[in-house]
Amino acid sequence: MDLTWSAEERAFREEVRTFVQAKLPADLRAKSFAHNRVKREDYIRWHRILADHGWGAPSWPKEFGGTGWNPLQRLIFEIESFKAGAPRLLPFGLSMIGPVLMKFGNQKQKDHYLPRIINMDDWWCQGYSEPGSGSDLASLKTRAERVGDKYIINGQKTWTTLAHYADWMFCLVRTDPGAKAQRGISMVLIDMKQPGVTVRPIKTLDGGAEVNEVWLENVEAPLENLVGEENNGWTYAKYLLGHERSGIAGIGHCHRELAILKSLAERTTASGESLSLDARVKDSINRIEAQVMALEMMVLRVAADSSDPGPKASILKIRGSELQMELARLQLQVTGADSWPYDPDWMHAEADFHGPGADYSPAAAAAYFDMRKTAIYGGTNEVQKGIIAKQLIGV
Amino acid sequence: MDFSYSQEQRMLTDSLRRLMADRWTYPERRARQKAGVLDQSAWANLAELGVSGLLVPEEFGGFGESPATMLAVHHELGRGLVSEPVISSAVIAVTLLANSSNHALKERWLTAHAEGDAVLAVAWQEEGERFAIRPLCTRANATSDGFTLEGRKVLVWHAAGSDALIVTALLDGEMALFLVPADAKGLGIADYPTFDGSRSSTVTFEHVVLTPESLIARGEEAQSLLTLALDFGITALCAHACGAMEYLTEATIQYLKTRKQFGQPLAAFQVLQFRLADMLTQQEMGISSTYVATVGLAEQDAARRSRLVSLTKVEVAAAARFVGESSVQLHGGMGMTDELEVGDYFKRLTFTDMLLGDTNFHLQRAQDLGN
Repeated sequence: MDLTWSAEERAFREEVRTFVQAKLPADLRAKSFAHNRVKREDYIRWHRILADHGWGAPSWPKEFGGTGWNPLQRLIFEIESFKAGAPRLLPFGLSMIGPVLMKFGNQKQKDHYLPRIINMDDWWCQGYSEPGSGSDLASLKTRAERVGDKYIINGQKTWTTLAHYADWMFCLVRTDPGAKAQRGISMVLIDMKQPGVTVRPIKTLDGGAEVNEVWLENVEAPLENLVGEENNGWTYAKYLLGHERSGIAGIGHCHRELAILKSLAERTTASGESLSLDARVKDSINRIEAQVMALEMMVLRVAADSSDPGPKASILKIRGSELQMELARLQLQVTGADSWPYDPDWMHAEADFHGPGADYSPAAAAAYFDMRKTAIYGGTNEVQKGIIAKQLIGV
Repeated sequence: MDFSYSQEQRMLTDSLRRLMADRWTYPERRARQKAGVLDQSAWANLAELGVSGLLVPEEFGGFGESPATMLAVHHELGRGLVSEPVISSAVIAVTLLANSSNHALKERWLTAHAEGDAVLAVAWQEEGERFAIRPLCTRANATSDGFTLEGRKVLVWHAAGSDALIVTALLDGEMALFLVPADAKGLGIADYPTFDGSRSSTVTFEHVVLTPESLIARGEEAQSLLTLALDFGITALCAHACGAMEYLTEATIQYLKTRKQFGQPLAAFQVLQFRLADMLTQQEMGISSTYVATVGLAEQDAARRSRLVSLTKVEVAAAARFVGESSVQLHGGMGMTDELEVGDYFKRLTFTDMLLGDTNFHLQRAQDLGN
């Protein structure tokens, strides 16, 4: 066992840090630290800055235009980017459909879609959940019928993150209604900019609308948009969810939020004294810092293990979400009653904020409400516990 | 001890529950929230059932009810997620005035309040301070014919829509309480929505001229009055949270019984059953804690009273958080939307810990007040 970072790893961290420091636009950094809403152009702007530097696909192998970084390098990149205040890299292309196409897509699909993901020429969204199929995804009902050289698709998807910006959806559809649940599902790539696709935003607790309902009415996809084999979509879906989970600890996010928490405590005063000197506040900050450090080690241990992260990813998911929620709660506690007045419009960087308290105060409550989603999406924490019991413990 | 409601209490809470079912429905609440101003007809409905006169002494036309009845009433108002100034005005302001010795103000304002014709707000918080009650920079100066008031208050619950404000200020270096009509010249109100669907304001005073009768109390009396009034307010807030918890737990149980995944109702999964059991336990302990504070309100020893209230607030806030967070979790993605009332209840429960002193403040206060 060697618990020190190698010289190469240290040099790599420095390289990332220097690059992000130099290239991350100040307004994006400010947005992250103020918890302002990140807009479509913001995501694209940062992604293209990375792409120009050859870092558009940090988790991909070189043969597909990625950086070829090993898991530890990828983690270092994630942590340093988040700490500096960079927007997250959207996972829909990079971590979801990209890896599926690399493994199961045909050459034409790889040649066409992968480079466009690296440069963010296409905005992808994930067509998985349906109104009656959340945790029980395999019960999905969206139907694709083969008519001549194309599929005609009808159904409804929900919780589709950022679908209102999407050019493409990778969508789970039922191609064989007679088959049992997991069989008879296929993965099809759907052009979102066509008649029959209706996107309706779902307003969430913080007043934002990042997720959507998507209706598909006689939507068409040419047969060549099928990924892999027909009726084998569940295999690809599971493969994709494995990828989604390995990054789901949100360790970079935790590091950034911890820094924000500390700075909030410094800046908030009661009777002229900084809250960072309050014993009760100090205790809670120290404790969450210990937990974030442990989570980082856990992430590193899983990443360094060359075998499939498999069910251990469920531990990361549960713990990562718990810490993200707790960090938001502590920020709310430190901000105190100043975050009680709230208007969703105040969440925009260009908003004319006129509430009481500091301009970052309203975001604390919004973030606390919004972070509850981390225990729900990507398979609820209850589902994750079931996976741990079944696959890690074997009961 | 007898925990069963008296016949009068039963009739009152039954009427309130019917009123909530009739006028505090999800669409009605949302519509009022959107309008952003106090709905006079809603306030009148509450007043008709005695909510505004509940704690007003009988000599001023009220019911002079006990803390126990207050608990029963605010529990119902919490179930209905009432966003009108039932705590800020009908509990805090009324308790403060009723216990003061300014007869003229009592005659004028308590009588009107009992009738439902007046709404009062209490402005006691300032910037740079969290929950300490002593004012920092709002000052009153004695003049030949009364007082003038200068300063700024924040987070004034329901200041907009009130007819008068009770304001803390420094007068000759000591704390004083004034009653300031909302239409006084020099008084400014910047009104904001809050995340739980109510309203709060920043209130400014620029050379506001006050009559000598505007002084409610000063010095130790002022401090004791405000502390007493806030202790009543905290207890009502806890009762409100318990009512909201009860409703939310019921709604969550209902949802799990109807929503199906993996071919069976979610309620069939043990992991979810246990979470429901924990919610129910927290809710029961929450209401039990609120009884502790309610008993405490009758204490003659003010320090002991405040300590019991503080300890209750800490416990109820924790229960409220658990029940609120759990209900969102058990509703899954639907719980994250703004389209169900579960979110509204969760947000209201979140504010239980933020208003009238947070957990750290009350732990410190309980520690300072000793045994």
